Amino acid sequence: MRGLEAGQYRPLTESDIHSINETSIDILQEPGVQCNNIRALDMFEKNGAVVDRETKKVRIPRGMLEDAIASAPSRVTLCGRNDKDDLLLEGKRTHLGTGGTVLNVLDMETGKRRQTVIEDMKNFARLVDALDNVHFFMLPLYPNDIDVEDVDVNRFWWAMANTTKHVMGGVYTIDGVRNVINIAEHVAGSANKLRERPFISMVTCMMSPLIIDDTYGGLLMEVASHGIPVVCPAEPLAGATGPITLAGTVAVSNAESLAGVVLAQLTNRGTPTIYGTVATTMDMKSGYYLSGSIESGLINAACAQMAQFYQLPVYATAGMSDSKLPDIQAGYEKMATNIITALAGANYIHDAAGFLEFCTTISYEQMVIDDEIIGICMRAVKGIDTSLDSLARDVIKSVGAGGNFLTSTHTMKYCRSEFLNLSLGDRKSRKRWEKDGAKDCAERAKEKARRILAEHSPEPIPSEILENIRSVYPQLNIQYSSGGVQSLNNRRINKRQQDGC
Amino acid sequence: MYQKISLAVQEGEIEEVDQLTIKSLEKGNDPLDVLNNALMSGIEIVGQKFADGELFIPEVMMCAQALQAGIDRLNPFLKQDENPHRAKIVIGTVANDVHDLGKNLVKMMLTANGYEVIDMGVNVSAEEFAGAVRGHNPDVVGMSALITTTMLEMSKTIEYIKTQGLHNGSLKILVGGAPVTEKFAKEIGADLYADDAIEAARILREIL
Repeated sequence: MRGLEAGQYRPLTESDIHSINETSIDILQEPGVQCNNIRALDMFEKNGAVVDRETKKVRIPRGMLEDAIASAPSRVTLCGRNDKDDLLLEGKRTHLGTGGTVLNVLDMETGKRRQTVIEDMKNFARLVDALDNVHFFMLPLYPNDIDVEDVDVNRFWWAMANTTKHVMGGVYTIDGVRNVINIAEHVAGSANKLRERPFISMVTCMMSPLIIDDTYGGLLMEVASHGIPVVCPAEPLAGATGPITLAGTVAVSNAESLAGVVLAQLTNRGTPTIYGTVATTMDMKSGYYLSGSIESGLINAACAQMAQFYQLPVYATAGMSDSKLPDIQAGYEKMATNIITALAGANYIHDAAGFLEFCTTISYEQMVIDDEIIGICMRAVKGIDTSLDSLARDVIKSVGAGGNFLTSTHTMKYCRSEFLNLSLGDRKSRKRWEKDGAKDCAERAKEKARRILAEHSPEPIPSEILENIRSVYPQLNIQYSSGGVQSLNNRRINKRQQDGC
Repeated sequence: MYQKISLAVQEGEIEEVDQLTIKSLEKGNDPLDVLNNALMSGIEIVGQKFADGELFIPEVMMCAQALQAGIDRLNPFLKQDENPHRAKIVIGTVANDVHDLGKNLVKMMLTANGYEVIDMGVNVSAEEFAGAVRGHNPDVVGMSALITTTMLEMSKTIEYIKTQGLHNGSLKILVGGAPVTEKFAKEIGADLYADDAIEAARILREIL
């Protein structure tokens, strides 16, 4: 059901959209954005923005903004390594997948939280590769066992080696960006082939409110200059780095997202640029960043409507939870924000699978549960078909009053497609459920995750490409073994895990 | 050939099962052999796949119809003592209850498992059940009820069958339905209880 057209949920009216648009345009002129990257500042000035060198304030005129919105493509295809995994981002077509980036994982064996390592990246990529409803793999974790300067290449490489789904990720250094693109070009076959079928994309970010950071601004320009799809999401926290009112935070988020689009388009006119938001709310009781609030869902659904108004593909955020484990709270928080953001037609909903605890922890069993939640959301997106055959008038006539539909061929025809087939939810009789061990959902999810990790092997990267990358990037520790390619780190990581690291 | 028939049963291809069964007989295969090693081996897999959640109810119904098409072709060629069915079941919804979905599901599941099912329909009185037992001489009589008040009809019916001297050694009484529990089944003197159609087929397989 990946990529189905949504748009049934519209928290904003046409006039709301108009008000927010005007407010955001106004914000981009007063106070404007603060741009801490000198090259970006130069570029804004050269192209006609009003720049105050002393305060680094950039006022983006309406014309420059409209020009950037017009030059950014309305349709971006984020490809898979295999074209069965391609995502067409446009209009109200909806996809959901993982997000980034956490430092901890709930260990499946101990149930305890520990630091994430590169082995987790491989495992999560492989798990997601096997989960049909997780539509893409955004690099979800930071490998704590890898030297800082090798993190970018390790994150991307081990993800693309373990899934054919689209790999998007945050980046940390300019060198990292270049090396990752170089590796991806090798895998694609050439630089051109990667641009034709970009199976990787990158994310930077804005510093809310209204700051283009020196490093992240530089990274955005670097990625844009390579013509690789890029997102520069706004990240206001309503009540802290954005106004407490949802409309105000949507206006600030919208202004920031648009500023990112402008910078990408000034860098490389026409480069695939995705309008992005990671906006959420702050807890007024504790000051914590909240990831599972329903208001976050409302903000993201509204931002999807704004992007649709500009005809830009949109990267949004939903499906997170502040719960510490895969429990009832995790279930309802994730479902609530996922379903409204999906129904709003956000094109690329990240963070929608695997995360817990204020977006700081990832969980294998939660990933499997979220696969099911996304499946349910996509069924809601699919909606109700009212074609003649679906209306079933002839069938109703022939069955008549008091008959049953179970034996009609019409039922046979639709029994697999009309109802969603759950793979995890319990629909057994009590007797059978008890016989099967009376397990709750999280326990069943853990078993499913274990089974997939024991059995699933993704489509491999061809060995000649592998050999090539192995020789150019020794820091990836690619190693041949009888079971295929593995990382030299394995032994070390296993030891660290045993140590409870 | 047998493999083909078995597959056609598994895929619910009614016409194909019919044609293949004719062909198989024309080739001179033993009808009983065709029954056991082609048709029944196919439906066996269907039953297993349904129990495992791989096949859906409408698909199993189609398979059961395909099986029946094959059996109908074989029947005239089978000897008197060669019953094409695993066993015979009389089934119905008890008096004052007109709910038949659950009963139909059990019927479907049993048919798909190679049982001959005589369906008495809904609102079947104690006398009618007893009459059917007398007339058909089944291995099992099955009763269904959906409403808590009509559950008591089960008790009455069982009582009646017993007083008529029909509950002798070989006849087993099976009860089921949403409000019925294993404990209740025991209390009213039923021999068997199943909480859904899959369970009913499994239990009968164990005892027959």
